[in-house]
This record gives sequence, structure tokens and C-alpha cells, in this order.
Amino acid sequence: MKNKTKLASIRQAFGDTLTALASKNKNIFVVSVDLKSSLKLTKFAQKFPHRFIEAGVAENNATGVAAGLAKTGKTVFVASFSCFSPAINWAVIKQSICYNHANVKIVGSHAGLMSGALGATHQMLEDIALMRVLPNMEVFSPADATETAKITTAISHSRRPAYLRLVRPDTPLFFPPKLSFTIGKSHILQLGQDLTIIGHGPILDTALQAQVKLKNKLSLEIINASSIKPLDQKTILHSLKKTGKLIVVEDHQKIGGLGEAIAHLLLESNLSVPFIHLAVDNQFGQSAKDYSKLYQHYDLDLDSLLRAIKKLT
Amino acid sequence: MSLFSNPKIKKLQKLSKRLRKHILDINYYSQSSHLGGPLSSIDLINTVYFSDLFSFSDSQPSAKDDRFILSAGHLCPALYAVLSVKNYFSVSKLKTYSQFKSILQGHVSTDVPGVSYSSGSLGQGLSFATGLALADKIDHKKKFTICLTSDAEHQEGQIWEAVTFANKYNLNNLINIVDNNKYQIDGAVDDIMPLEDLGAKYIHFGWSVKEVNGHDFKQILRAFKQATQSIRPTAIIAHTTFAKGVSFMQHDYHYHDLKNLSSKLYQQTVKEISQGL
Repeated sequence: MKNKTKLASIRQAFGDTLTALASKNKNIFVVSVDLKSSLKLTKFAQKFPHRFIEAGVAENNATGVAAGLAKTGKTVFVASFSCFSPAINWAVIKQSICYNHANVKIVGSHAGLMSGALGATHQMLEDIALMRVLPNMEVFSPADATETAKITTAISHSRRPAYLRLVRPDTPLFFPPKLSFTIGKSHILQLGQDLTIIGHGPILDTALQAQVKLKNKLSLEIINASSIKPLDQKTILHSLKKTGKLIVVEDHQKIGGLGEAIAHLLLESNLSVPFIHLAVDNQFGQSAKDYSKLYQHYDLDLDSLLRAIKKLT
Repeated sequence: MSLFSNPKIKKLQKLSKRLRKHILDINYYSQSSHLGGPLSSIDLINTVYFSDLFSFSDSQPSAKDDRFILSAGHLCPALYAVLSVKNYFSVSKLKTYSQFKSILQGHVSTDVPGVSYSSGSLGQGLSFATGLALADKIDHKKKFTICLTSDAEHQEGQIWEAVTFANKYNLNNLINIVDNNKYQIDGAVDDIMPLEDLGAKYIHFGWSVKEVNGHDFKQILRAFKQATQSIRPTAIIAHTTFAKGVSFMQHDYHYHDLKNLSSKLYQQTVKEISQGL
């Protein structure tokens, strides 16, 4: 199955989309922290040298400079790895961006165990927790390159702060090109009756694979909650009232992740359903050239998902 | 009237007495607020807003104004006093400082007309000011961005990231005033974490540096004037007296902030300030 799937780079989609948007929108700026090639912004820097600000390896200042630029009316993207931004600069994001209502987008690449060989320091598993908690901050985690382009466009049109989570490797393309992206809306990738799987990011491909494996035995409803904050409460509640069973899968810590957000939503809505949260459980990552080995080790692979489905059905 | 004329200096001196009284009122009526820093920095902020060297509209802020960023957000009683005298809001509001629903938040906030950056966590404001100054360069706007930082704030690493950045982008429209009052919350800066020669550090980072007595308006004005003509970003290292103007508070770090100013001591401080120390 996986071999047949077409792969594409989420980072390339981000860089190309932002460069295209910047041709039309002269207010789009990038503040870089010495990672422009990795964030696929070399073309942006060549085409718009006056709108590409290189701040060096200094995330706190880069974020503050971005906030200052934004307060003069610009839309500013701070592009880095998620293990540095929003990790090192969290207090600056809180005060200089969120509290001051600065139109800055934090773009954090290399999120999750998918960073593979780079190891624990570069496998950011806490970014969603850090960004969800901040007032005024919106949080997005695209599932593939197609959706990355759509979310990049959507947040470039918004005046609010946002966090955009990207991953390192090329990942399967499965987001239907016809679907548009709306902030606060999730997408039902597949309609089903027996169990709801909700996730964000490329790991959703595993859920689609699970349905292929289970063929006609079970019908899974698979929801892409790429808009983690604001969360599409309506779609999620509607699905769970129908299926009555929930698995949340995400390449992030259990604590503070999407699963926790949905569990909170269910409790507040007086909706009680059997629930399994597949995520990293209070541990650090480690190196592996092939991240699928890490997914096996941390129970995020297809077998783990199939086991969870079996447990609930 | 020349920039350094005696009437002008006298006007600023007289205004500073009034502003110090407002700072004490803020403290007395709220029974809270920082004091040492607001009293040491007030002559500097006064000069920024009332010397005519920079453009700050009366009655209400305007998009044409120069920019002032208070990075050391706890010094807000000084800025609130200045903005009330500018008539951006009523002076009577000063007594509501830090109360529930008051616009005058405990640390400087954009809820207050004329404040363009909310701050409280030290070390961040200079980066924000740098971003504004860079935007003005890119947009060909002839504006100055004046930032006020404390000396102890220079223990934060982010300050030096911003100083490095401003040099790279040649931001000669950026002025950082350092209120060098030599004290911080737990004691003397030299004991907590010595900063050595701040001026020399700024020079090594590629900035112009002016060292002044931060209570001598002639020196402050001259430094500002030179800063506006500099080809580099300028740091004005203002050597100030902690809690300047109140004899029993000066040089005593315990007055970093004060939560129990008695009526008797309040009367004494008001008297001292009106006489000018």
C-alpha cells in the first residue's frame, strides 16, 4: 500500500506557497534563524531580499523583531525548527506576539518522531501543548503537502497569530485537492459507522491503511483535525455521537496534545465514550534513520492502531 | 529657543517635579508599584516626550509620532505619569493604577493610550523596538524608535541578540536608553551579576555610545541630539540615582517596589520632591 502512495515534501509545499503568496502580497515577510534552506525559503530570499530578514541563531530576538515588524502592518512568518521555535522562544511568543496581538506566524518544522535520525533534541513532541495554551494563538498541523499549501494560504490571510507545524520527511499525499481549508474546520477523510479515529499530521495515513486492512469488517470514520485550535467541536461531537468509540493518534506527547483537547471537549459535553490515545507517553524520542522503527517502538505504527481498534470493537 | 536654552531646561526640571509627584501618587493610592526605577528613569522619559527633539502629539497619539518602547515594563508608573500629562488620559486615572478594571495595568500595557508595546518580562522590548526600526527603514519612514531598558535587564541574553541584530541592519533610527541606576530587586547589580562597562560592550557590538548623567537635562538633550545624527544605532548609558528625589529611598534597593507607604512618609516624600533633591 505504502509503496504505491505518492510522496511529497510538506516543507517544500510551505516554502513554494509562501513564495508564491509573497509575489502578490507585498506585506509578507520572513524572519529566518539560519534555516532558510531547510524551510525551503531560498527562493523567497532570492526573490524578496528586502522582505527576508536573517536574524541568525537567535530565536528570542528573531521572534521579538517579527512582532515589531508585524505591528507596522506586516504579516511575518518566523521559520525555524519546532524544537527551537516555539521551544526556546516561548516567553517571547507569549508576551511580544500573543499579548501584543502581533500578526506573526510561527512555523516549526521537523516536528515529532518523524525527524528520525536527529534524535531526542530535535524530535519536538511538546509544541502543540506549548502553543495550544496561549491566548490568541491558533494551532495547525497539516496532514500532507496539499493541505500545507492550503493552511499556509489561510493563515497568510488572517491577522491573528498562528503556529504551523511541519515535518521533515516526504509524506504520503492523501488530502483531496478539491477540499479547501477553513480555520476551525476539520475534514472527514472517510465516513464510517463503527469507530472514530481522529488525528493530525501525516500519521493519519496509518488510519487510512487500517481501513484498507479491515476492508469490510469495520467501517472507520477518519477525521483530520488539522485545525487543532480552534478545534472543530461540531464535527467531532457529531461523529462520536454516531460511532461512540474514539481513537486519537498523534506524533506528539499525550500531555497537552490533540487527544487531551478532545477528551476535555467530550467531558464538557457530557459525552462518555471508550477512548484510546496513541501518542508518546511522557518519554523522549531517540535516533532512527527510518522513523517507522520509532513508530513501532512508541506504539504509533499500524499494528498498534489495529490493536487499539480491536480493543474497542 | 535653542535646544539647550535655560528656559527649556527649567521647564523640563519643573515638569520632572510634577511627574515624580504623580509617580508617588500612583504608589501611595495603589499601595503597590515599583518606585526606584520609575524615579531614576523619569527625567529621561520626560525628555523623550517633552523636549521637542522627537515628535509626540498632544492630546492623542498619532500615526506620525516617533516611537517609544518601554522594555522594562515595571517602570510603567513613570510612563503613565508622562502620558497623563500629555493628556492622553485624565491625570485623575493615575490613582486607579493596578486596580481591577483600570486601564493602568501593573506592568506597561497597550490598554493605555500612547503605549505601543505591552511588557513586563525583561529583555524583550529591545527586539520589538528593533523590529519597528527595521520596518521604518524598509518603508522609508523618517521616524525614531526610542527604547528604554534597565541596566539589570542587560543580564538577559536576548538584549545582546537584539544589539547584534541592530548593528547588522545598521539601524541608526534606533536609540536605546539604559537606565543605569545600579540596583535591581535583590540588591546591587555589581553583587547580583556585574555588567562591567556597558558602554564599552555596546561599542564592541558596533553601536554609538553616549554616557550621560541621567538627571542632567543638558547632557541628556545633547546625547539625544547626537543620537539622531548618528550613522549607527545609539546606546545612551544614563547614569542615574536609584529612587532619585526621595532621600531615604535613594540608593536603597529595598525600594525597588513599595507596598506600604504610610501617610506620614508620603507627605515627607511629596515635600522633598517639591523642593528638589
